Amino acid sequence: MSALGYQLGAVDCDIHVAPAAYSDLLPYLSDYWRQYISEAAVRLTGVGHAYPPGAPVTATAQARERGWATPPSTYEQLAERYLDEAQPGHVVLNCLAGFDTHRNPYFSAAVAGALNDWVRETFLRRDDRLRASLSVSPVSPDDATAEIERVGDDPGFVQVLLPVRSDLPWGHKNNHAMFAAARERSLQVALHAWGRAGRSLTPSGFTTTYLEDYLANQPIAQAQMLSFVSEGVFERFPDLRVMVTECGFAWLPTLLWRFDKDWKGVWREVPWVKDLPSEYVGRHFCLTTAPAHLPPEDTGRAQLLEMLGGPAMLVYASDFPHDHGDSVAPLLDQLSAEDRAGVLQNTAAAFYGLDAVRTYTSP
Amino acid sequence: MKLIDCDVHAQATEPMLAEHLGPWARAQLERYGRRTPRTTDWYPRARNGGMRVDAWPDKPGHIWGSDPELLREQLLDEYDVDYAILEVLSGQDCYDHPDFAREWNHAINEWQAETWLGFDSRLRGTIAVAHEYPDLAVKEIEERADDPRFVAVLLPASAAEPLGAPKYWPIYRAATECGRPVVVHTGGYVDHRGAGYPSFYLDYHVGNGIVTQGQLTSMVAGGLFEEVPGVRVVLTESGVAWVAALRWSLDAAWELMRADHPRLTRPPSHYLDEHVWFTTQPIEEPEDPSHLVYAIDQAHLRDKLLFATDYPHWDFDSPTQALPRVIDKELRRKILCENAADLYGFPRERPEPAATAGVQAS
Amino acid sequence: MRVVVAPVSEFPPGERRIVQAGSRSIGVFRVGDRFYGIRNRCPHQGGPLCRGHLLDDAVADAPGRPRVSENPLRIACPWHGWEYDLETGQSFMGARQAGVRSYGVAVQAGGPLLAEIEAAQTGEGELRPGPYVAETFDVRVQDDYVVLEV
Repeated sequence: MSALGYQLGAVDCDIHVAPAAYSDLLPYLSDYWRQYISEAAVRLTGVGHAYPPGAPVTATAQARERGWATPPSTYEQLAERYLDEAQPGHVVLNCLAGFDTHRNPYFSAAVAGALNDWVRETFLRRDDRLRASLSVSPVSPDDATAEIERVGDDPGFVQVLLPVRSDLPWGHKNNHAMFAAARERSLQVALHAWGRAGRSLTPSGFTTTYLEDYLANQPIAQAQMLSFVSEGVFERFPDLRVMVTECGFAWLPTLLWRFDKDWKGVWREVPWVKDLPSEYVGRHFCLTTAPAHLPPEDTGRAQLLEMLGGPAMLVYASDFPHDHGDSVAPLLDQLSAEDRAGVLQNTAAAFYGLDAVRTYTSP
Repeated sequence: MKLIDCDVHAQATEPMLAEHLGPWARAQLERYGRRTPRTTDWYPRARNGGMRVDAWPDKPGHIWGSDPELLREQLLDEYDVDYAILEVLSGQDCYDHPDFAREWNHAINEWQAETWLGFDSRLRGTIAVAHEYPDLAVKEIEERADDPRFVAVLLPASAAEPLGAPKYWPIYRAATECGRPVVVHTGGYVDHRGAGYPSFYLDYHVGNGIVTQGQLTSMVAGGLFEEVPGVRVVLTESGVAWVAALRWSLDAAWELMRADHPRLTRPPSHYLDEHVWFTTQPIEEPEDPSHLVYAIDQAHLRDKLLFATDYPHWDFDSPTQALPRVIDKELRRKILCENAADLYGFPRERPEPAATAGVQAS
Repeated sequence: MRVVVAPVSEFPPGERRIVQAGSRSIGVFRVGDRFYGIRNRCPHQGGPLCRGHLLDDAVADAPGRPRVSENPLRIACPWHGWEYDLETGQSFMGARQAGVRSYGVAVQAGGPLLAEIEAAQTGEGELRPGPYVAETFDVRVQDDYVVLEV
């Protein structure tokens, strides 16, 4: 481990980068959208409500002291603030700036495209350890599919980035063309915490505290997981896998107990779900380890591992620069060397086919 | 004491409730019916119509759960129940005009009192309230407070605002002031806005176990348990195994964000220990039953679990079959009756056999 | 023990009778010209199995393409819906897998998703057994009477 708690040499599956402002994206946008951004005074909120500059989760105290509270917007910043310290084997960059709340599907598509071009130019071509999630419009499946078709062959992209909050659950049939396009290009899917604000994020009205919003990512991720299985996504796309990112994982075993039990009663409603839901989830999902939210003692942690059926679905992430105030290290300490290597490197490498990905070269 | 069933559904037909409505509300019902869309229409219950097929009474005008005699036969006598607590859900999704909501919930309680609570001394009721109109809800609670056969106040697990919101505090306060716990039961107007509306009853049903996580978070974060120090909440029909992971998350989040929550003087897990109970049905069934015991112990639930059958719903838990063998004798007794006896103030010992004519309202 | 259930002429196809045979309650079903006997007690949690619905097999060729097949009927427990083969008493979970599983790997980009391979659907595919087996009994027609052998 590094001085700041990074697992050295790991495949780190959730690192954040973001443009500092729309000015960073203007080179990748048409004249029309540049004018729109200016005239409409569009703010690059991205996930401002998710990581407000002063919020505890946004960055560690040390990072804040050094003026590093926002995600890096240049390669030099990424190197200085994270790569040099963590020395990862590979990194998956997540840029959440496309999670915005505006409803204009055409703008949303244009921004997603600009973000992907910006990420390629700014990061992927600079360092062959870097991989990235591919941004798509969260409000237009057609445009999302088109964007995957446009840049999905770039070996730097490993997965399609979806916000965990959505208008319709992601497993819905309206999204299946997007999954087809992803699989054709050997891309997986990431469900990342946060996403569209503007609607309440619980089934019971608007929350009023950040703590509720923060923790709501977990029940929402659970609902999305149900959808992928019940809508038969994995029957249609047997090679598709989903990385649940920054939504926790300790909730998984007990959800699957319920999901399996209920399926046993009402499978007739979804007869294409032929296997136990837990079997689909075990084959197709992985979850990142930040936040960890572990049991407070070793016994509980050992039990959690037992309930999970082992660490095979867990994939290490530092979630730089975010700070959840905890660490997965106590759980890793309980693992054999082989299992540890699984969580830190091998599971992610297999998930993303990292050995098969050519070293990045400029487009 | 052997068995206290903490979630039983007496179900009225509209004509049965209409009998207890005033003329204006009755006319509204006849003209427009119930205006709120029912989740049973969005998500038809894909197995057995959502109910035990054998629980349909052989009496004209009756439906599942409307006939006290059948309920007595199939539940109270069949399983030798000491007490059964009725939750009548007809008002949970009531988003009608407040005047109608008030009368509708009042009618639910009148129907309980007249049809059920006098019928068998083992039956107890829960006070249905117009929850979106707390002033009206408080009035209804105060009206029923002197009838000891009503043992709790009933809220739905989904409402217009999260259940920890200050809007609803008067309801918790009124319940606590008259010594009643608040039963928060799955259902209500479930507006799936986090991930969007699922397509299937399967997702909706599993979702019942997910929705309550947010509600518990709201109650903790909003400071309900400091605001109403004696409040007792019974999370009902949400399952139990998920609680531990939420406890860990709540405590971790609070560590990080304590400064945002000056009302909270203790960690969230402390408030759960002091204020929150859970009914067992639908009890989760891990492949390794000892994992269920892990989940119970990790969440400190030994004194907090209350057995429930959920009669007459299709996923009813049989009192003789539903608890896995791995649950030790002492824990089994707590779950089946002792925890509920302590919560509701029932005597720990079964009273001498009496006539089954019901307890009178005082 | 033999229990005379009813004259055949009074037991048309599609009907069922629940009879007491000693301490056991047993459901007798007529499907076409065949009779089945199965214990009126679901091994899962003890529900009155024979009061449940008789259901055709459900199959799905693909997500969103459900159908019912003509395989033998199943009795579904009126409580939690555990389904049992009337003849063998074996419980099943999940739909019958279609004769050949088709995977949508030949999807054209942007083309209709439902260009999945439609293999000849024989409906003869596998069912996944469940953990419960209900007790079954022989039912015969003797001298124009339906007779249950316990």
